[in-house]
Amino acid sequence: MAAAFRAMLQRDLLLAWRRRGDALLPVLYAVMVATLFPFALGPEHTLLARISGGVVLVTVLLSMLLSLDAVFRGDLEDGALEYLVLAPQPLALLVAARMLAYWLVTALPLIAVAPLLAYMLGLEGPAQPVLLLALLLATPLLALIGSVLTALTVGTRRSGMLLALMLLPLAVPIVIFAAGAVGAAQQGLPWVAPVAWLAAALALAVVLAPLACATALRIALDS
Amino acid sequence: MNAIKLWYHKLGSPPYFYVFAGYIQPWLWTIAAMLAVAGLYGGLVLAPADYQQGDAFRIIFVHVPAAWMSLFIYGVMAVSAFIAVIWRPKMAEVLAMESAPIGAAFTLIALVTGSLWGRPTWGTYWTWDARLTSELVLLFIYLGVIGLYHAFEDPRQGARAASFLAMVGAVNLPIVHYSVVWWNTLHQGTTVRYFGPSSIAPSMLWPLLAMTFAAKFYYGASLMQRSRVSLLSLERGKDWVADIVRREPTHG
Repeated sequence: MAAAFRAMLQRDLLLAWRRRGDALLPVLYAVMVATLFPFALGPEHTLLARISGGVVLVTVLLSMLLSLDAVFRGDLEDGALEYLVLAPQPLALLVAARMLAYWLVTALPLIAVAPLLAYMLGLEGPAQPVLLLALLLATPLLALIGSVLTALTVGTRRSGMLLALMLLPLAVPIVIFAAGAVGAAQQGLPWVAPVAWLAAALALAVVLAPLACATALRIALDS
Repeated sequence: MNAIKLWYHKLGSPPYFYVFAGYIQPWLWTIAAMLAVAGLYGGLVLAPADYQQGDAFRIIFVHVPAAWMSLFIYGVMAVSAFIAVIWRPKMAEVLAMESAPIGAAFTLIALVTGSLWGRPTWGTYWTWDARLTSELVLLFIYLGVIGLYHAFEDPRQGARAASFLAMVGAVNLPIVHYSVVWWNTLHQGTTVRYFGPSSIAPSMLWPLLAMTFAAKFYYGASLMQRSRVSLLSLERGKDWVADIVRREPTHG
């Protein structure tokens, strides 16, 4: 089973590496969105600094949302998804490998660029590492929940807006806790509690989301 | 097999359910209408004006039942969705999917009446209060379920996928509510206070209860009607639908 997990991960990472330009698109999108905020709100430093954590988090969330559609799309189109469902290894395990690959390819570059974006908006000092920590916990959570919902929409044609409608309400707690931690750190308040909540939710999601995703895929492909 | 169990299993069959729903539906409509008339008369005419809010409080007789129903219907939908995903009976899918638009409508009513009520009492139509925000998220989850159901070509597959989403939403809803409460206390103190639940006068309580039960019966009646229409559409290739169409010539 470990071999299947490794093979799946290796294949996904190799595919991503062969088309490494694609991995840059979410990052570019995030940079564009974050750049629009100062234009819309004015260059006033105190205002931008106050909202910087939240803006970066929402930007990362939106860029992950846009790339989520691709998690199962390619496999669905070339028929590989049916083979995954029929494989002797548990589907949840293979799906977990896919989620990990997706997180490595999409979320890690976003996390790498996030401190830069936050700094451009005026987030400084001890809040920076907190933002990084919050993103390290929030992005896998989003990837896990998002993959479950993407699996549900696999059988539909127009899934982009629908995915947003399904994911954003469920992402509310993640945004609240992640942005809350950054905001608390900015004000010099203790920020461990929201981060601990995120970590707890992540621990739960790591166990449950692959199983839920496997069920969702079976529902979406069964016709 | 005893009689209740037999009846329960019979209800799982679409033709039987269609006839049963058609039989109880007029009763549900009648009870709902009678309760609503009584409740509205008691609430809008008989109940005295509130000593603090004047006549503005009277919207409570629509707002509170709608808010309760928005959660109650989600509960019913989540239970049917659970049954639909695990055991896959067709009726559970139909009931879950036909509950969703009614629940979304009640949620919208609760939000709109709440914001209309907020204007005279709090001075604003909208505030990021924990309950308002949770209710808004609930509306989004309802819309997601409805949207996913209609995104599939095959309605049964759509019903199963949307049922699964409803289950995920049911797990998430308490988390959303408590995180919003936490967020609200972090950002600002409670600016909005609901008047105490204990201090409601009996002359205001009975119309409220009447309206609550009116909303429950309305939901039942509406669910029966929607399910019957949905069944006719889902089972349009079956003999029993053809029989009904032959027996009831088109009305125009």
